[in-house]
Amino acid sequence: MTEQEKPKPLLSGVIYGEITFWITIIGMIICTIGIVLYFIIGNQFFDANTMVNELWAGKDAATIWKDAAGREVIHGHWYLTRLAFTDAIAMLGLGLCCLAAVFGSWGSVIGMIANKEKPYLFLVFAIIIAVLLTCSAAGLVSLH
Amino acid sequence: MSKLLEYRKKILKALGITCLVAIAIAASVGSIQAAGSVEPMGITPLWFFIILLVGCTVIGIFAVLAGVGGGVIFTPVFMGFTPIDSYIIRSTGLFVAMAGALVAGRPFLNKGVANIRLLFTGAVPYAVFAVIGAMLAGYIQKTMGAGGEAFIRGALGVIVIGIGLLFVFFGGKSEYPEVSFVDKFTEKLNLPLPYYEDSLGKVINYKVTRAALGLTLFCGVGLISGLFGLGAGWAMVPVFNMVMAAPLKVAATCSKVMISMGDTAAVWPYIVGGGLFPLFTVPSMIGLIVGTLIGSKIMLKVKAGFVRWIIIVVMIGAGIRLISKAWTMV
Repeated sequence: MTEQEKPKPLLSGVIYGEITFWITIIGMIICTIGIVLYFIIGNQFFDANTMVNELWAGKDAATIWKDAAGREVIHGHWYLTRLAFTDAIAMLGLGLCCLAAVFGSWGSVIGMIANKEKPYLFLVFAIIIAVLLTCSAAGLVSLH
Repeated sequence: MSKLLEYRKKILKALGITCLVAIAIAASVGSIQAAGSVEPMGITPLWFFIILLVGCTVIGIFAVLAGVGGGVIFTPVFMGFTPIDSYIIRSTGLFVAMAGALVAGRPFLNKGVANIRLLFTGAVPYAVFAVIGAMLAGYIQKTMGAGGEAFIRGALGVIVIGIGLLFVFFGGKSEYPEVSFVDKFTEKLNLPLPYYEDSLGKVINYKVTRAALGLTLFCGVGLISGLFGLGAGWAMVPVFNMVMAAPLKVAATCSKVMISMGDTAAVWPYIVGGGLFPLFTVPSMIGLIVGTLIGSKIMLKVKAGFVRWIIIVVMIGAGIRLISKAWTMV
């Protein structure tokens, strides 16, 4: 069977796969750099010793924030304004990984529109997913 | 395309090696601030990181050999066998399941095996209910205290035992299910997309059926995934394959990509709730991904049947331990 005879994957799917893969890889590299600096340089937002002890003591997230960071939980993207701290860099990487599907789904929507992929019902589903992921990442879907 | 795949493998390898080298360097640097003093727990943060990394690598290897995602083993094992707070474990479990799925999805979508129509259709109920589950988890943690924690652990224990039994009794999935009847709703959706199957050297044209039932089941799967921080491949593959009659390969690849969408929606309420800590999440993520890569290499050389039984025993053991923990908390 020649390449021409093989069914072509839909552009929207390819775009989703490419965007999510590369953003996740970049996110992983950033968080690896962040965690290495965390151990070598220090300068931590969360005190490492306190955090390990409290994690192992079964303390909840709010208590760990209070004891290891000396403050209440910051609801939202706390790391963006604290990138001088090494664990904030690691958290930036984690946050980027969590944004991969948000960008991927919007890319998929654009791919569907550009490629005029029919039936349009799937474009509606893709938009619903993209909006839901965006709202979730923006912190709009939250108890806080 | 093959060059790109080769490139991807190299990047993942480089990431794993970089991490191991960096840890080795960090371990040899005398002025590591965090690792400087031994705390009452008995280990330094660096050792905590290394132990977690090794533990999650082992989980990743076993997960691949057993044919499941690392996320589904991570959460019950950590909740059953460590004292770490369940909200933090569930946040991390959801994250590692999502990260693994995000990395794994690309080749399936490039080849067209993962059906983008099928997965966007299933992702809507899955993601919506995963978010509801995640918000419910936050609500339970905030308002119900120890009772809520006991409920989460007990319910997860029952689910995990159920998953173990599912592996025992419903392990036999059909590679290419025969569809004798397609209902009108499914027909109108026009879900199937043919793909080229390399191993057979031919195009696979398939049908799917019972879409309404499948979508309803995805609501429940999403709720469980969001509430308990579990990867959901164990439930999605049977729904796609046994309920909707999609070929096994399509079911497995679609479930991987759908996890990346649904768990992204569910993980953000946990992050906003302050449940994700880099010192716990990063080694878990790297360990599971490195373990998955090692596991897929080993898989080609060993008979993995016995590993499946080890996983079943571990899952049932973790389930019993979760229920007993919940019992003592009430």
